[in-house]
Amino acid sequence: MTKLILNRRNFIGTAAMSGAALASPVYLRRAHAAGGEVNIWTYNEFVPTAFKEQFEAETGIKVNVRLVDDQGKQFNLLAAEAPNPSVDIMTVAGHRFLQFIDSDLLTPLDTDRLKNWGAINPTFSESDWATINGHKWGAPILSGMEVLSYNTELVTPEEAETWDTLFSDKYKGQTAYVIQDMMSIVMLKMGYDGNMVAYMDDPAKAAEIVEEVKQYLIEKKPLVRKYYDGGAEVQQMFVNQDIALAQSWNGPAAALINDGFPLAMSIPKEGSYGFVYTFNIANNAPNLDNAYTFLDAILASPEIGASMTKASGFISTYKGASEYLSDIEKKSTSFPEEQLANLQFFRAEANDMKYKLIDPAVEAIKAS
Amino acid sequence: MSDDAAGRSFSKAEIAGQGERTFWGRLANWPLYRGFTAFLTASPRRQFVILAIFPLIWVLTQHLGPMLQMLRVSLTDAYPVAPGTEQHFTLQNYTRFFGDRIFWQPFFRTLIFAGVFTFCTLILTYPVAYFLARHVSRKNQVLMLLLLLIPFWVGEVVRTYAIMILLGNTGAVNMVLKWIGLIDRPIPFMYTSFSMGVGIVYLTALYMLLPLYSALEKLPKSYNEAAADLGAGAWTRFRRVTLPLTLEGISSGCTLVFLISTGFYATPVLLGGPSTTVFAETIAGFFHVAGDQWPTGAAFATIMFAAALVLTGIFQKLMNSLRKGDTK
Repeated sequence: MTKLILNRRNFIGTAAMSGAALASPVYLRRAHAAGGEVNIWTYNEFVPTAFKEQFEAETGIKVNVRLVDDQGKQFNLLAAEAPNPSVDIMTVAGHRFLQFIDSDLLTPLDTDRLKNWGAINPTFSESDWATINGHKWGAPILSGMEVLSYNTELVTPEEAETWDTLFSDKYKGQTAYVIQDMMSIVMLKMGYDGNMVAYMDDPAKAAEIVEEVKQYLIEKKPLVRKYYDGGAEVQQMFVNQDIALAQSWNGPAAALINDGFPLAMSIPKEGSYGFVYTFNIANNAPNLDNAYTFLDAILASPEIGASMTKASGFISTYKGASEYLSDIEKKSTSFPEEQLANLQFFRAEANDMKYKLIDPAVEAIKAS
Repeated sequence: MSDDAAGRSFSKAEIAGQGERTFWGRLANWPLYRGFTAFLTASPRRQFVILAIFPLIWVLTQHLGPMLQMLRVSLTDAYPVAPGTEQHFTLQNYTRFFGDRIFWQPFFRTLIFAGVFTFCTLILTYPVAYFLARHVSRKNQVLMLLLLLIPFWVGEVVRTYAIMILLGNTGAVNMVLKWIGLIDRPIPFMYTSFSMGVGIVYLTALYMLLPLYSALEKLPKSYNEAAADLGAGAWTRFRRVTLPLTLEGISSGCTLVFLISTGFYATPVLLGGPSTTVFAETIAGFFHVAGDQWPTGAAFATIMFAAALVLTGIFQKLMNSLRKGDTK
C-alpha cells in the first residue's frame, strides 16, 4: 500500500534510533541464539533497519524482508504458495483479516508465546476487530487512516473540512485519490455505510449504492489528475506540485510534513476510515519458532514503535512510543479531537460482498 | 620447425600412444566413448537434433510454458484454488470481455496508442538511424551506437522517473519555458497521453533504431549515386531507392515496438492519467486489486496477446506485399 521516500530526516532518525537501541538494555538477548531465518512480507520501513541488524546479531536469525505494496497482491501470492508458503510473517491490514482467514492462510496467534504482548496499547490489541472466531490473528504494529491531505500554500484549512473540495471545479486537474479507498469514503459522504455491513441482508441495496457511487466517480473523472496506488506516488505528486490536494493515507502525508513540506491533513466532517496494520503468522509457516522470536523482539520496546512511526509516518500502536517522537513528529501523527470523532474503523464482516461489487466498479471507473 | 618435422606424418598407433598418457586421451580412446560419439554424429539430422534440443527445452519451458499455463488458467473458474473447493473448466472469463463493453475501451485504446506510438517512434528514429548509417564514419559508428545505448543500461522504471523529472510541473521543461518567458503557469504535461507517449517512444526507440540502422547500413551507397546520376533529386532518391530497400528494417522495428507497446504496464501507470488507462492496467487489476480473479486476468491477457499477433501478422503481410510490389 505504501512506498515511502528515504530522506535525510529519515536517515538521521534511523541513525539516532540505532544509537538509542545500542545504548538500551539488551532486550534481544532474552531470545536464545536460535539461528536459521525468518521470512517477512511487509511494507517499506515497517521493519526498522537498526532493529533488524541488532536482532540478527543477537539471535543469529537472518531476517529476509520482501517488500509488498498491495494487500490484494499479497493475498494472491500467499494463496498461490499455499499450503506450503515461503513466508513466516506477513503484514495484513486489520479489515482484510477475514479474507486471509477464510482462505486458511493465517494461523491464530498464540499470545502466550509473546512476553511483550502487553506492550501494545489495548485499544488496538483488544478491540473487537482484533478477535475473530475467538482467536487473535495478528500483532497490531501501526495504525493509519484515510485523510484529506492538502498543500497549505494552495488550499485553506476551511476548504479541507469537506471531501467536496476534492471534487470541486476550483481544483480541477489538481487532485488525486485511490479509487478503491475513495469508493468507501464517497459512500460515507453520501450518507451510506462504507463498510456495507448495514446491507449484508440486502445485496440489491448494496449493489444499488455501489452503482450510484460508481456513476458519481465517473461523472467527476474529468476533475481528477491521477488515480494512484502507492504512498510514494502521492508524495511525488505533492513534491512536484502536480496536485494541490488528495485523499491519502496519513503515513505518506506525515512523512512529507516531517520533512518540512507545506502539507497538512484533515479528517473531513463527512467522516473517514481508519485501519491497523498487523504482523501475522502464515499457516504452515516454515520457521514458526523464529517468527515468534521475531514478533516478541519487535514488540519489546516503545523505541522500536517510535522508529517505525518516524520511518513510515503511521501511528505506532505501542504504549509510550510517542515519548520518543520529536514535536513535529508528534504533530504529524495526531489530529484534533473534533476530527477524530469523524473517524471509524474499516470492518471486515461484509468484505466478501463489498469487494465483489467494488472491484468491478473500480475497473469500470478506470476504463470509462 | 624443420621441413622434416613439418612433413612428418604420425601413425594412428603413435597418436593413440601419446593420447593415452592424458585423461582426455584415454577418454578419446575409450571404446564406449568412441561408440557414443559415433552414434551422436552419425548423420546430419542427428547432429541437428542434438544442437536443437537445448534451445528447444529453453523455449518450451521459459517461453511457451508460462503462456500455456496462462491459457490453462484462463479456462478455469478459480485460481489459485481455495481450500475445499474444486476447479472447473469455463469460457466465462472470455465471454466477460465480449459481454461487457466497459473493457473494450482500454482494449482499443491500447491498440490505438500502440499504433500511434509505433509510428511516432519510426518517424523520430529513422533520421537518427539514417545519419548514423550513412553519414558517420565506420570508425565512429560503434562509439555513436554505444552513446545511444547508454540510457538502456538502466531499467525501465528508472528511465520513466527521468521522464517524470523532465515533464513535471516543477520539471526541467516547464522551468525552461518559464525562464524564457513563454509561460506563467506550468503546463500540466504529466499524467496525460502526451507524457505517456513520450515515455513509451523513449523506452522503445532502441528497438526501432537497431533494425533500421542494420537495414540502412547494408544499403550500398552506389545505388543512390546511380539514381543521382540518372537525375533523381534527394526526395526521389529517398522515396524510390532508400525507403523501399529498408522496408525490411521498418517492418522488424515496427513489429517489435508495436508488440512491446501493447504490453507496457509500469510506464502507463507512472506517466498516464485517468483517461489513458491501458489494457495492461485492466489486466493487472484482476491480478492484485481485484483479489481473486486471476482467470479473468489470464483470459484478458490471452485476448490481448492474440489481438496483437493478428494485427502484427496483417502488418507483416502488408509490408511483404509492398516489398514484392517494389521488386517487380
